[in-house]
Amino acid sequence: MADSSRVLPGFSLSLGYTIFYLSALVLIPLGALVLKTAQISPDELWKIITDPIVVSAYKLTFSASFYAAAINAVFGLILAWTLVRYSFPGRRFFDALIDFPFALPTAVAGLTYANLYLKDGWIGGLGPNIVGGVNWLSSSLGGGQLISTTALDWLTFPFTGQTSGIVAVLIFVSLPFVVRSIQPVLQEWDPEFETAARSLGADRFTIFRRVIFPEIFPAWFSGFGAAFARSIGEYGSVIFIAANIPGKSQIAPLQIVTKLDDFQYAAASAIGVVLLIVSLLLLFVINSIERFSRRHERAA
Amino acid sequence: MAGVLASKAPPGAIAARPAATESALGRRILIGITVAFLTLFILIPLINVFHQAFAKGLDGYLAVFFPPEPDPNAVLNYSQKRRLAEAATQATRTWHSIGLTVAVASIVIPLNVIFGLAAAWATTKFEFRGRTLLTVLIDLPFSVSPVVAGLVFVLLLGRNGIFGDWATQLVWPDIFSLRWVGFGESFWPLAFERTHTGIIFTPLAIVIATIFVTFPFVARSLAPLMANLGPDEETAALSLGASGWRTFFKITLPNVKWALLYGVILTLTRAFGEFGAVSVVSGHIDVNDTMPLRIEKLWNEYNNQAAFSVASVLTFLALVSLVAKIAIEWKTTNEAKR
Amino acid sequence: MTIEVQNINKSYGAVKVLSNVDLRINSGELVSLLGPSGSGKTTLLRVIAGIEQADPGSGPISFDGMDVSGVDLGRRGIGFVFQSYALFKHLSVFENVAFGLRAKPRRERPNEQQIKEKVGSLLDLIQLGAFAGRYPSQLSGGQRQRVALARALAVEPRVLLLDEPFGALDATVRRELRSWLRHLHGTIHVTTIFVTHDQEEALEVSDRVAVMGKGRIEQFASPQEVYEKPANEFVFKFLGNYNVFHGRSGAGAFVRPHDIAIFRTEDGERPDAQRGVVWHIGFGGPVVKIELQSDDRNRIDVELTAQAYRDLNLKRGEKVWFAARRAHSDFPPEYAI
Repeated sequence: MADSSRVLPGFSLSLGYTIFYLSALVLIPLGALVLKTAQISPDELWKIITDPIVVSAYKLTFSASFYAAAINAVFGLILAWTLVRYSFPGRRFFDALIDFPFALPTAVAGLTYANLYLKDGWIGGLGPNIVGGVNWLSSSLGGGQLISTTALDWLTFPFTGQTSGIVAVLIFVSLPFVVRSIQPVLQEWDPEFETAARSLGADRFTIFRRVIFPEIFPAWFSGFGAAFARSIGEYGSVIFIAANIPGKSQIAPLQIVTKLDDFQYAAASAIGVVLLIVSLLLLFVINSIERFSRRHERAA
Repeated sequence: MAGVLASKAPPGAIAARPAATESALGRRILIGITVAFLTLFILIPLINVFHQAFAKGLDGYLAVFFPPEPDPNAVLNYSQKRRLAEAATQATRTWHSIGLTVAVASIVIPLNVIFGLAAAWATTKFEFRGRTLLTVLIDLPFSVSPVVAGLVFVLLLGRNGIFGDWATQLVWPDIFSLRWVGFGESFWPLAFERTHTGIIFTPLAIVIATIFVTFPFVARSLAPLMANLGPDEETAALSLGASGWRTFFKITLPNVKWALLYGVILTLTRAFGEFGAVSVVSGHIDVNDTMPLRIEKLWNEYNNQAAFSVASVLTFLALVSLVAKIAIEWKTTNEAKR
Repeated sequence: MTIEVQNINKSYGAVKVLSNVDLRINSGELVSLLGPSGSGKTTLLRVIAGIEQADPGSGPISFDGMDVSGVDLGRRGIGFVFQSYALFKHLSVFENVAFGLRAKPRRERPNEQQIKEKVGSLLDLIQLGAFAGRYPSQLSGGQRQRVALARALAVEPRVLLLDEPFGALDATVRRELRSWLRHLHGTIHVTTIFVTHDQEEALEVSDRVAVMGKGRIEQFASPQEVYEKPANEFVFKFLGNYNVFHGRSGAGAFVRPHDIAIFRTEDGERPDAQRGVVWHIGFGGPVVKIELQSDDRNRIDVELTAQAYRDLNLKRGEKVWFAARRAHSDFPPEYAI
């Protein structure tokens, strides 16, 4: 459709309306954010964004988001692989479940995760209950405590600690990004490539490493990036599950809300700008890497 | 007795597609991981919503929305009266949040549909400088934290905001207060009983914030399809003498109707579920509560079961949207096959 | 290396794709599997390669007398060129060709220098020495085809299998690559089987042609033999255009368009000559295609050499005589399945 030479009508109308709507809703408001931040003196700005409480909020946001995205990158690949290549009972059902985090309001996700995965929750309490049960059994048989309670911390690690609770709900929220970006590539994948590699004597591991993985890498990586970016901005679900203690378990978006509630608009916008810049930078880096890894696929 | 050209392909040639070559054990392990992961992270949390909502049985569930009427003959002590009154207040607030959520969504969706159609039309049917930049900008709200989305409107329209002087003075009518007043007082028989002043911390701000977080959806669902279809059909219609609008309604719109519906469903689920942006501009005032904000309040008041009951409505909606998505996909692949 | 398959059967669900196929190929031979789509030719090639498994109860697939039907695809010592080429998009031409060498188990793997030399000589062989650093997307169809061939040859296969190797190429490139393949085979002498649906290609390139139809081999013989002495009606019909002449007895005789003579005056030596009208003249370069309408209102296609056409000086609408110089008849009846 290159150069369709404007035979179709409505170009100026649709473009004009699009630009107007975009400006009113995105460009001017985001401009306001930048403007507000620009009014802060550099010293003041530095003080705001290096405040220990703010820094710890960033650290928590970025580390929890990274763990969630990394876990999703691993499991998302397995999920996409399984759902595309194997048939098993319930496959369509489980495939449909992947979209559920997109459809479910984040507040509901936070609510149900907080209820389930915190220490007194059904799943969060699973580890301690098992340990307690084993110990009760062994002590009633006269053997004393079989498992030390310090093992509890390790056993319950995945879900119950403050950070790990946040990571768990972020895994939920950002899971679809990884799976849904790899799936189409695997679906389009011509099995002839695998057969070709096999006919050349490559074993299964070599085929995955040298033939399949390079093919899905761009999609996989951009899925990881999208999951990471989404987790950084996530607010609704996290505040339900985190204890929200300043300097300990407050995420960066919550810092913005806290500052706003205190009418510290300048501080709120400074934190917001940093968050915005980081997520835009992240998207830019991911796009570049994705484009770079696809560079050979375009015809010269 | 005729010259026949050779090579007539018999029907039923079968494409050989080798099955996955992984070992059966490896396959079983991967399937096991998939099922376990999805059960733990999605299925159980999903079931838990309904499990908790019905923790006090069906009556307890319904009581969240329809509080028990006090029996006029019964003699109630003070605390019983208080509890009934409290339940009634809570239910009223819940209903208000449902009404507000529906109202916001019904304003946002038509606006975003018009925008989405215009944006997709402009970016897919025409080549122009800055087209790529425009598509990036349309996607921008996806990469902005909802809290930042709320924040920008506070900074723009709030008391000390850039347009603060104008925005805080703005008087606008409350659409819920539209009443029939008859022809006695004025030429126009309908009037609003209530008005609001200002934008931030009013339902109008919730509408604006919701538009911000949802407006890419329709454009995004339409663009790939419209780009694929190209301008050929429209050009053909125009060459046959159809007007621009006629071409749009008779050719373009029918071609993209399922994608449009899909975009609307995405917008709807997000509009119903948006939390961060809406929370920031709502000022935590009860009358500004949408359903997700209502859930947070109930949760903070340790009213676990009520919070889950409201959540179950949204969860049900999410499930409906999933079914609708599958139905649309099924529909479109079937149409593509024909 | 000789290849022998016996009693190969293959079905997909209820559809039988190969039935009781026997084939014996001599060492160093270049054999084509020729047939319409759906005739099972590609499936037979893939069964020989080990990509597909024959149905249980099928006979052995022997390479040099050794049954390889239980041997994995990667260990059979075959080089397979795919119809889609299946070049790895993210690997350069060099790395594509080197893929099989690098995939060898550590003990057998050549060192970097050896790989470089081996790939270099193969790229020279396919005349793409200067293209080592390019990626598949930067090559033309014919170049991709040659890279796919070099990649298959790199592992020094005992047999080379090509699935519709020139199928996706345009006519000129096809013709070039065809003679190039013939030439290459003359150099390396590896037993080669290739699949094609193009009669001309099969007849021109191969030592022997196996004509396939409906999952069985109808005839396996030299190009000249299959063309001049087709084993049955199917083979005859598949190998080119034809006219059907009905004799007085009612039995049909098949005549190739170039086996028909046209003449102006009645000829006593041709008592079987019929009358017809020149309906259309299609000038096709070296060959001129004449469409006649016989007196009993049937269309007859005739091919004349340009020289014969000039000598005759035919005009449209002219009344002429025509007769078959050579006819095929009395094919054995097609046996029912």
